[in-house]
Amino acid sequence: MKRALAATVAVAFGCALGACAGGTDGGESGSIARGTIGYSAMTLKNPFFKIIADSLTAEAERHGFDVVVTDAERDVNRQSQQVDNFLASGVAAIVLNPVDRIAIGPAVRRANEAGVPVFTSDLQAVAEGVEIAGHVGTDNYQGGLLAGEAMIEALGEAGGEVLVLHFKQANSCVLRVDGFRHAIGEYNRDRTEGRIEIVAELEGGGLRDEGYRAMADGIQAYPDLAGVFAINDPSALGARTALEQAGRADQVRIVGFDGEIAGREAIRDGEIYADPIQYPDRMGVMTVQNIVRYLDGEDFERVHLIPTELYRQADAEQDPTLD
Amino acid sequence: MPEGDGGRVGRWRRRLLDLLGRNLSVVVLVLLCLISSVATWREQNPITSRSGGAVARQVLEACQASCSVLVVARDTEADRVFAQAIEQGLDAAGARIAGSVFGQPRDVRLELERIAGAGDSLDAIATHRIASDWGPVRTAGVRVFAPRSYHWPTFLTARNLLNVVNQNADIAIIALGMTLVILTAGIDLSVGSLLALAGVIAAVAVQEWFGGTAASPAGLLAAMLLGVGAAALGGLLSGTMVTAFRVPPFVATLGLMMVARGLALILAVGHQRRLVGGGAEGTPEAVRVDAAAFAWLGNGAVLGVPNPIVLMLVLFVAAHLLMTRTMFGRYVYAVGGNVEAARLSGVPVTAVLLAVYCLCGAFAGLAGIVDASRFEGGRPNAGELYELQVIAAVVVGGASLAGGRGRIAGTLIGAMIIAVIQNGLNIAGVASYEQKVVFGALILAAVLLDRLQPKIASRRARMTRASTSTPVQ
Repeated sequence: MKRALAATVAVAFGCALGACAGGTDGGESGSIARGTIGYSAMTLKNPFFKIIADSLTAEAERHGFDVVVTDAERDVNRQSQQVDNFLASGVAAIVLNPVDRIAIGPAVRRANEAGVPVFTSDLQAVAEGVEIAGHVGTDNYQGGLLAGEAMIEALGEAGGEVLVLHFKQANSCVLRVDGFRHAIGEYNRDRTEGRIEIVAELEGGGLRDEGYRAMADGIQAYPDLAGVFAINDPSALGARTALEQAGRADQVRIVGFDGEIAGREAIRDGEIYADPIQYPDRMGVMTVQNIVRYLDGEDFERVHLIPTELYRQADAEQDPTLD
Repeated sequence: MPEGDGGRVGRWRRRLLDLLGRNLSVVVLVLLCLISSVATWREQNPITSRSGGAVARQVLEACQASCSVLVVARDTEADRVFAQAIEQGLDAAGARIAGSVFGQPRDVRLELERIAGAGDSLDAIATHRIASDWGPVRTAGVRVFAPRSYHWPTFLTARNLLNVVNQNADIAIIALGMTLVILTAGIDLSVGSLLALAGVIAAVAVQEWFGGTAASPAGLLAAMLLGVGAAALGGLLSGTMVTAFRVPPFVATLGLMMVARGLALILAVGHQRRLVGGGAEGTPEAVRVDAAAFAWLGNGAVLGVPNPIVLMLVLFVAAHLLMTRTMFGRYVYAVGGNVEAARLSGVPVTAVLLAVYCLCGAFAGLAGIVDASRFEGGRPNAGELYELQVIAAVVVGGASLAGGRGRIAGTLIGAMIIAVIQNGLNIAGVASYEQKVVFGALILAAVLLDRLQPKIASRRARMTRASTSTPVQ
């Protein structure tokens, strides 16, 4: 009995002690230099946000900050808790990719009341009565326009039916699709032949598996598809798999978004036609630079949108980061 | 060694182990708190009236009453109290206050520029540790005074402790209902979805039926009750499937989990579409409620204690009394212990099961109202994977998934253990991937304990028998 009890107690505490050991090396150096930056990522399962986290951490450490990276896992409840925990542990600044641009409001307001500046990156918060010290993100509408241009280029004079793989929960993606629709609309104006028609918006979740399932259904529902615009690389890659399985990969052109490594490799191999590419690394670096300027009392651009650039197969062939 | 002594030591040791074994979860909780405290032993910077007075004295000691001082603080309540104490202290001694800044680093820079521009002299800046790190303060070229910091576990600050409990009040509330279900050897996977459904229904009801921003308190209450009622109805549906059609609880509630989540999304998207005037399909964002009173339940406080905590405690006391002092409580244990025996001895098994699932749904609905209030809107994506956290809390609290064994108090402790682990890991700065491993390992440890306990008990019984009667073998 004693041994069994001791064993269970040991297991339970072993876990807890693991936490303790992990914690001390993260927090010890907090008292020197400039304090801690708390970052709550939208989801670290998507490489995009991991790049923001890594570049933000590297740049912040260069300036003498400690960084605590947390994962909101797409749950605004978790993200609010992370903000509260940052406030309780007295961070110098908070960086968020707001999971829900409205529902994050109360948490940001609590940070405002505590006098801790909140910076957003990639996604913006629009809740009422909250103060965001600075934002760095992609110009998603412009990116959507470029995606539309790429689609027009890919389909050529023939035009055809196009499907959108959406992720409506994220406003950034809503802007991308708005830009895309605008570009296609401009192209279609005064055109009777070779029009491009957006036949449906399906929910691709911004994830590979969900994008795959949505595309598999889309092929059934719209047998004449000529193109797909997926709002990010994971869902574009999912769509590609579905098209290959259906034997339709040659007839349906894909335009993605992001330019993460897997996406760029797919562009090099001709599996995705083109991507408007984003610069998550710059987002992390510029966010830290904004924090430094804020703490130094300097003026800076409160909302900075980084334009995307179109990335095609020719760019991929010369890309030194792909092997 | 004399025999009597060994016997006494053994008895004491046995008693101690007995006590530990029975209250193991409490011991675990206390130890976790201790570990979290050690792991978060950090520098604390006091921003209070007292520390403000101390700074004023520091300044006066260093440069007498003749010097001219700039007071720097942020634009928060605590900072204002702190700065006021500095100003009063300096004033009383006749020192000159060149200016006071309540704001951001940028405001300090502008104030310094103003002072320099006006040709004023400046000898010192009085502020707190945080602002003393600001660029303009560091580079002002005058002496900076700030209160001495002290060391104390960040975990053990009032703010953080309230945080921990508040953040997990919704999990704890659902865990109450789940305890009842698990006591009957059932399970309810639909709680997370019912939470979302209740929140969305309440939010949509406020916005579309009860006057939106101008909603009266009665209207808000009605909307909230509607949400809770819908969730309770969902629970009743599961209960009916389990009792009338003998569908295993796992399957019945799995189905309801998907149906309820889908309904929450449909309602939210429909509302967003009506907001933008039809046409395009809406987005699955939170259904926003602007009525200020709606946020009271989730964000308000009574005597400094956040409302969700108050609600949680009230519900816990009620559930505890229900399970220990009423016939219903005894029926629930009886059904979980042995359904047939309960039926034969006249327990209304069907009614008990229906009530248990209905209550579980209602508790999930209440948590949904707390969530919607907290985020000032009903979120169709709220409560995802909550069922697992809730079940974890109940199991860690000592309830057996086989039914018949478990206590409400145990569940409260289980919920707090999970809360402390998450908070401790978070503020100790453990990376999120590692957190999952630790969290999962702890659940396994708890279930392991659950498995071992009957074995321990039976071995103990055998040992007692062996020592009192002549051994057979």
